[in-house]
Amino acid sequence: MIVSKAQSCIGVVMSKIVLVLFLFFSSLNAYESEEKLKVVIIAKISKFVRWQSNDNEKFIITVLNNTYGELFNRTLNGIKIQNKNIEIKYIDNIDNLSQTNILYIPMGSGKDLNTILDKTKGKNILTISDIRGFADKDGVMQIYFISQKVKLRINLSRSKKNNLQISSSLLAIADVIKGI
Amino acid sequence: MKKSISILLTLIVSSIQADNNILNESLKDIMNMQSEATAEIGSRSGSKSAINSKVPVDVITHKQIARSGLSSLTEVLRYFIPTFNAPQASLNDGSDHIRLFTLRGMSPDQVLVLVNGKRVHTSALLNVNATIGRGSSSVDLDTITISAIEKIEILRDGAAAQYGSDAIAGVINIILKGITDHSSISVQGGKYTKGDGEQLYANSFINTPLKYDGFVNLSISAVDQKQTNRAGADRRVDPAKVYTHIGIPQSQNYNAVLNIELPQENNINIYAVGLFNYRDSQASAFYRTPDENNPIYPEGYLPLINAKIFDYSFIGGIKGEIDYFKWDLSNTFGYNEINYYLSNSMNKSIGVNSPTSFYNGTLSFLQNTTNLDISKKISKLSLAAGLEYRHENYQIKKGDTQSYILGELHESAGSQGFAGYSLENETDDTRKSYALYLDTTYDFTEDFSLEGAARYEDYSDFGETTNFKLALSYRIVPELLLRTSASSGFRAPSLSQSSYSQTSSFYSDDNTNDSVSMGLYKTDHEASRIFGASELKPELSKHFSIGSVYELGNISFMLDYFYVEVDDKILLSDMQKATTQAQIDVLNKYDIAQLSFFTNAVNTQTQGIDLKLDYLFNFENSSKLDIGVWYNYSVSKVVAFNSPIITRENLYRTIDQIENGQPKSNLKILSNYQWNKFNSTLNVSRYGHYQQVSNDTAHSFSPQWVADLELSYKATKSILYTVGGHNIFDTTPDKWDMSGIGYGYDGIVPYSLYAPAGISGAFYYVRASIEF
Repeated sequence: MIVSKAQSCIGVVMSKIVLVLFLFFSSLNAYESEEKLKVVIIAKISKFVRWQSNDNEKFIITVLNNTYGELFNRTLNGIKIQNKNIEIKYIDNIDNLSQTNILYIPMGSGKDLNTILDKTKGKNILTISDIRGFADKDGVMQIYFISQKVKLRINLSRSKKNNLQISSSLLAIADVIKGI
Repeated sequence: MKKSISILLTLIVSSIQADNNILNESLKDIMNMQSEATAEIGSRSGSKSAINSKVPVDVITHKQIARSGLSSLTEVLRYFIPTFNAPQASLNDGSDHIRLFTLRGMSPDQVLVLVNGKRVHTSALLNVNATIGRGSSSVDLDTITISAIEKIEILRDGAAAQYGSDAIAGVINIILKGITDHSSISVQGGKYTKGDGEQLYANSFINTPLKYDGFVNLSISAVDQKQTNRAGADRRVDPAKVYTHIGIPQSQNYNAVLNIELPQENNINIYAVGLFNYRDSQASAFYRTPDENNPIYPEGYLPLINAKIFDYSFIGGIKGEIDYFKWDLSNTFGYNEINYYLSNSMNKSIGVNSPTSFYNGTLSFLQNTTNLDISKKISKLSLAAGLEYRHENYQIKKGDTQSYILGELHESAGSQGFAGYSLENETDDTRKSYALYLDTTYDFTEDFSLEGAARYEDYSDFGETTNFKLALSYRIVPELLLRTSASSGFRAPSLSQSSYSQTSSFYSDDNTNDSVSMGLYKTDHEASRIFGASELKPELSKHFSIGSVYELGNISFMLDYFYVEVDDKILLSDMQKATTQAQIDVLNKYDIAQLSFFTNAVNTQTQGIDLKLDYLFNFENSSKLDIGVWYNYSVSKVVAFNSPIITRENLYRTIDQIENGQPKSNLKILSNYQWNKFNSTLNVSRYGHYQQVSNDTAHSFSPQWVADLELSYKATKSILYTVGGHNIFDTTPDKWDMSGIGYGYDGIVPYSLYAPAGISGAFYYVRASIEF
């Protein structure tokens, strides 16, 4: 009985400690989905990249085989990149690719990756994907997750061939491979 | 208290109004953010947000595991999951060496365990002693080193229509570390405050990255655990003192996991996983008191049972994509072997010529599963299908003849403490099964999704079964998701239940000097059949769950109700004695005095709620606090008895164990605070009331509170020092409320061994970790 009372007291003390922790701190934000973080990263890294030809009126992001629903539109609605309004284009076939700053290739398009990348070779396009091995397979920038944190891998050789200048501050926080 | 709660609620409501525009954060800060946990379990349509799953899924990450200060996967799950129960057995032969575990207060064999989505074989051990889950075999979780684990996904729902047999109380999917950017080595040492139970634990994880995000990951761990002893004085001896061992057994546990993925340029991915475990574990039987007529141990002796366990699995496979069809062909081979040895014992029926050490036999279980999975996403429809072929083999090999024979000098046979398996018990049984399954998900809108699954199985022993599942989720408003599921399921009788027998001989008391035997007999034995035994049928289940997920700002709140009905649950009968002439004739034919056997005994109902609140605070000084409150309430009832030999009265201990042997309510309050180079973890658990039957009387045990604390300091970018404690207030469970020489508050076993938080008390440890 004495043991039970002692345990009961410990339980009350524990509950109060946790309550005090709740009361002591204030909050900012919570966990975001991987999809949303990818969309945000795509917008954010654009500030660290310089395109050779940048005379479009809008900053264009093309999404191939969109699997994100309205997430791109919802997340990037109303924001500017490089002082330009964003235009998001959705295409289902790489043959329909028109002028764009960024081409995002979602994970499900891995099978056609060689064809897709062939279409962008030498063009002033930042190719981004979360396809496994994307940077090794001659894509410019790969987004991946380790322990629920976003990581970037950049194929420096391919970025140069696509006439993209990537700032040293972005390269410093990314895993850089030299490429072919 | 009411005032405190109202302040808390005010704070919660006000904090969720905080600005949450992630686009205002810097790139560096975004890359430091933690994304929400994803899980593959619960649906075959790919990895999804765990919290938004159509069925309740929990995820434990490797970082949380590393902060637990635990060396055992069983302990890790007990530490985090309120509905997970794994009491430490003592004086229960093989069950002392392999930790049984349950989900939702159900049976250990009603949980399916996967590694990287592939079925894990169960242990060869059949728990036939007085432990929770008597009569079942479960997976030995401690065959997997936790340093190899990326995350653990726990599906709290029936899923036999997706994954097959055993997925009744839930599914545990262990995801091994894959693509990563570090390797690590860690060494930990600790002991219990009562001065025993010293533990030395070392583990390493070595990652070698390969092209196209391939990798070779090797994880190795070793745990040297000394025993704890919380036995009471033995009053059979004068002066009374402690002779028997009760607590954590002494063991050395070695694990290795090799995880390889070799992606090719053409999107083909070749993968292989190897898991290896060797455990040398020693526990005791009851002390044998001094006897001047004993020719070997006149001063008394304590038989020591030694289990040497080998366990390994090999998973090999290849996966890729053809015309947007994803495919995955794999083979999983698993093997578990338990070799029993006994020392400091004797076979009293042999007398002075008896050896004092014995080999008592070997149990082994082999399982080989071949899978072909295909899946395709067509617009809003995700389609998955598959084929599975499984082969299983169960063997018992006899021990030394002297470990089981009946000599002339004593009335009962075999080595004291644990009689060996005899020639009569040897078995080598095999079965195979085929399965065909289909799983579809249709997303009507982004907010409304429906999933249907069907699985057909054909087992060579009991025949066919087909099971179905329907689940849907509907997001009413952005903050609120409703979900519900209904399914049927099954658990195939384990080969150990069908094939196991353990018998021993003794001299009958009719002065004929003839020996007779008793014990557990197979269901197909003529003696079992005369008492009504028949071929075991599968346990059939029905499931229903309904719940909601509320997310707003930094709060997520889950509430789920579940209902599980199991028909024909398999139990071990009590000892049967002949009451009819036909039974007398058959028992005489085989020289059997009495026997027990497995039977599809009862129908059960389990229902309850799971409640989970997660709250994340990110502070402006870059520190953060993560708090999770998890509560589970579940109650099981036996609602029907399916055999005339099974009644509530004659199987009282087992029935009460099902209904009251495990806590009905459990609470976990998990908190972690990270600031600069410091990290602290405080976990508080409340294990609810439980009871155990002794001498046909149920004894009640009060709830127990346990607190665990860990403090870490990151001395350099790669070196982390940690100090921590489990059960830091050294609470103990209630002792028995009865007096007794064996079981009783003043006896050899003062505590119930159903105690969910163990009986060993406070444990403190220090750890050094290096990441490179």
